[in-house]
Amino acid sequence: MSEWSGDDGKWLDAHYDPVAGLRTFTSCMALADLSGDGDGRLVVADLGGGASAASMKLKVYGGTALSSESVLLDLPCGLVAFFMDLHEPRIPAVAVASGPCVYVYKNLRPYFKFTLPGLDVNTLEQDVWQEARDGHIDPPAIKEMLESLRKKADIPLSVRSLHFLSLDDEHLEDFVQLHKQQPIKRQTVITCMGTLKKSTADEDGVSCLVIGTESAHLYVLDPEAFVILAKVALPAPPTMLDVTGQFDVEFRITAACRNGNIYILRRDLDKPKYCVELSSHPVGLVRVGKNMVVGTTDQNLQGFTQKGKKLWKVVLPAPICTMASMDLPARGFHGVLVGLANCEVHLYKDKNLVSTIKTPDAVTAICFGRYGREDGTLITTLKGGGLVVKILKRTVEFQDRDSTPGPPAAQSIRLNVPKKTKLYVDQTLRERENGTAMHRAFQMDLIRLRLAAAKAYAKALESSLTPVSSGSGRSLKMNAVVQGLGPSFKLTLNIQNTAACRPILNLAVSFLYDQSLYRMRNPFLKIPLLVPGLVYPVQTLVECTSDKGISDIIKVFVLHEEQSTPLLTAHINMPVSEGIN
Amino acid sequence: MGLFDKLAGWLGFKKEVNVLCLGLDNSGKTTIINKLKPSHAQAQDIVPTIGFSIEKFKTSSLSFTVFDMSGQGRYRNLWEHYYKSGQAVIFVIDSADKLRMVVAKEELDTLLNHPDIKHKRIPILFLANKMDVRDALSSVKVSQLLCLDNIKDKPWHICATDALKGDGLQEGVEWLQGNPSRVCASMCVCVCLPN
Repeated sequence: MSEWSGDDGKWLDAHYDPVAGLRTFTSCMALADLSGDGDGRLVVADLGGGASAASMKLKVYGGTALSSESVLLDLPCGLVAFFMDLHEPRIPAVAVASGPCVYVYKNLRPYFKFTLPGLDVNTLEQDVWQEARDGHIDPPAIKEMLESLRKKADIPLSVRSLHFLSLDDEHLEDFVQLHKQQPIKRQTVITCMGTLKKSTADEDGVSCLVIGTESAHLYVLDPEAFVILAKVALPAPPTMLDVTGQFDVEFRITAACRNGNIYILRRDLDKPKYCVELSSHPVGLVRVGKNMVVGTTDQNLQGFTQKGKKLWKVVLPAPICTMASMDLPARGFHGVLVGLANCEVHLYKDKNLVSTIKTPDAVTAICFGRYGREDGTLITTLKGGGLVVKILKRTVEFQDRDSTPGPPAAQSIRLNVPKKTKLYVDQTLRERENGTAMHRAFQMDLIRLRLAAAKAYAKALESSLTPVSSGSGRSLKMNAVVQGLGPSFKLTLNIQNTAACRPILNLAVSFLYDQSLYRMRNPFLKIPLLVPGLVYPVQTLVECTSDKGISDIIKVFVLHEEQSTPLLTAHINMPVSEGIN
Repeated sequence: MGLFDKLAGWLGFKKEVNVLCLGLDNSGKTTIINKLKPSHAQAQDIVPTIGFSIEKFKTSSLSFTVFDMSGQGRYRNLWEHYYKSGQAVIFVIDSADKLRMVVAKEELDTLLNHPDIKHKRIPILFLANKMDVRDALSSVKVSQLLCLDNIKDKPWHICATDALKGDGLQEGVEWLQGNPSRVCASMCVCVCLPN
C-alpha cells in the first residue's frame, strides 16, 4: 500500500481494494446513514462491466466490506440519498435515476417508482402507426414515411420509430407485428438529479428531488406524493446540477448544460436568471459556500459568484476526471476535490491548492463525508474498479496559502513608501524645469570621460608600456612569457612578423635589468630572419641573485642593427622568486 | 510486590494510581470502566462521553483513579492535557472497526510521541475490545496493525476483551496492577538504601 500513498501526510490510508469492481461516477455515489445508528454507509449505483442488465447493481458498503447489493433494472445515471418523510428513526431513502424513471428505495427495498410524464407525440407519426395497425400499409412504406417525417418534423420521432428505421429490411415485418398494437409514446430520459430541502434547512429535513432531463427540462418532485411541484425549461439539456436553499422559502438551482453554458435559476422559476458562458464544456460543478467552482475540459478550474461573475481561474496540470465538494463544518473548511487524469486528486480551497493525493489509477468518482464513524473520509473509485478510502488526519491544518511554488507572499505586502518630502518635491520641480540643461551637462561630462580614456589609451600605446606590443613602423609583434618559480626563470619572447610578405632581417634583442638582482645568461640575442606569419620563440634563462624576495622590471628591446632607437620595447614584471638559492 | 506496598496493603492504605483511559469513539472505554466498578455502582445505560469523566475503583492492592476521556474527534485534543498526571494508560481499540484501525494507530503514535509520555516509562495496557462481534480482529492482528512491537521503551500488554460480558478485563487489570507497583518498588529501594 505504501508505494502509491504519496500524499502530503494529511491523509491516512484506511482501506484499498483494487478489485472492488466498482464502475461508477461521482453522480452515482452517496454517503448516508442508512441504518440510523450514526454509522455512515456508502451507497453506489454500479454501472456494471458490460451492457448486460444483470451486472448493474446497487451496492452498499459499510466499513471495509460490501454489506448488501441488489440488482438495478436499468443503467443508473444518478443517485441521491434524501429524507422523504419525518418518521423516526431518521433513515434516508435512496433514489436511483435510470432512463425515464426514478426508483426510490427505503431500507434498501424498492419502495416507489416515479416515471416522468411522456412528451408530445408527432401526430403524423401517430397516423402512420395507426395505418400500420389497420394493415393499410406495408413495412417498406412505413419506413419511407417515417424517414420523411424524421427529416422535416418539428417534434422528433419516438424511440420505437427510430429503432424501426435502424433495422434491416428482413426484420421490419416482425417488428411491426410485435409493436403495432401498443400506442406510441415519446419518453425523455433523466440526465442528472439533485435534492432540494423542502421547508427547513436542517440536516435531516425533508427534501424534494430535482431532476434534469434530456428534453431540457428541470422538474422538482414532492417527496411524499411524488407529484411535480415545479417544471422549468432550460435552453439545453442539463448535465450537472447544484441545488441550494429551500423550496418553500428561497432556492437556487445551478445547472451546467450540454451547450457549454451554466444557467442559474431562482425561486421565481420560469426561465434562467443568470447565464455563464464558458470557454469550453464543463466537467464538474461544485458549490463552495456562496460561490461555485467549475472544472472545464480545457483543464481549467474557475470560480464564479452566485450571480455568474468570474472570480478566478486556475490551470490544472492534467484533464479533469471528476469533481466533488469537501465540507468539514466542524472545522469550517470548504474545499473542492478535483480528480485528475494523471492519477492525482487535488484539493483546492478557493484557488489555492492545499493538498495533493496520489492514487494508483485515474479516479472516476469522488465522495467526501461521514463514512463509518469518521467525518472526514474521502472515498474514491478508480478506473480499474478499485475502491480507495482515506481518512483526513485530525491534526491537519490546511493553509490558506498556495502550496505550489509561485510569487512569494512578500510580493503582495505593500511597501511602506515614505511621504514626499519638501526636498523631494523641490528636486522633482527642478528636474522638470531644467531637464535639457541637465541632459547637456551629463552628455558633456560623458564625452570628456571618453576623451580622457582615449587619451590614456593613446599614451599607453605610444610609450609601448604593455608587454604585448606591436610596433607602428615595422610590422612586428612580440609577447613575453616568464616561466618558472625561481630563482631560475625562463624568459620566452614570441616574436612574429605580421607583414603580408616581406621578411625582416638583422634584428637583435637586448635586455636592460638591475644587475644586482638578476643575472642573465645571454643579455643580447640575435634573431634570425623572420618569415611573415610564423611565431619565433626566443628563449633565455634569467637567474635571480637576491634572496630578499623582491622583484624588478626587465626591459626588453627589439633592435635593428642600423638604428639606435628600438623597434619595440616591453616591460616584463618579473615574479618574486619563490625558490631558495 | 514491594515490602512497602504489602505493608500499606495490610494497614488498609491503598496506593493511588492515576490511569488514563484512551481510545477512539465507540471503542468501549466507558463500558470497560463501568464493568470494573463494583456491581452495585455500575450504570445501566452507557452514553457517549462528553469531555471526560473521572471514575474510581479499587483492586486488592491499588486504588485506581481513571480519567475516562471522550474519544470523539473534537475532544481528542483534551487527552494531552492529562498526560502529565497519568501513571498508566489504558488504550481501548474497537477490534471490529477495521477501517479506523489507522486512525487508532495515528492517535497512538501521537500519544507515544508526546513530550509528556515519550520519556516516561509508563505502562500501557491495550484492550482489543468487542471480541464478541462476529468478524472482529484477533488481538495478535490488532497488535500487528498498531505496530505495537515498535514500542521498546515502555512496558505494554494487549488483552482481548469483551466489555459487555467482562471477559479479559481482569487479566488486563492484573497486569496493570503488577506494573506500576514494580515501578514503585524500585523507588522504595532507592529511598531505603541510606537507612
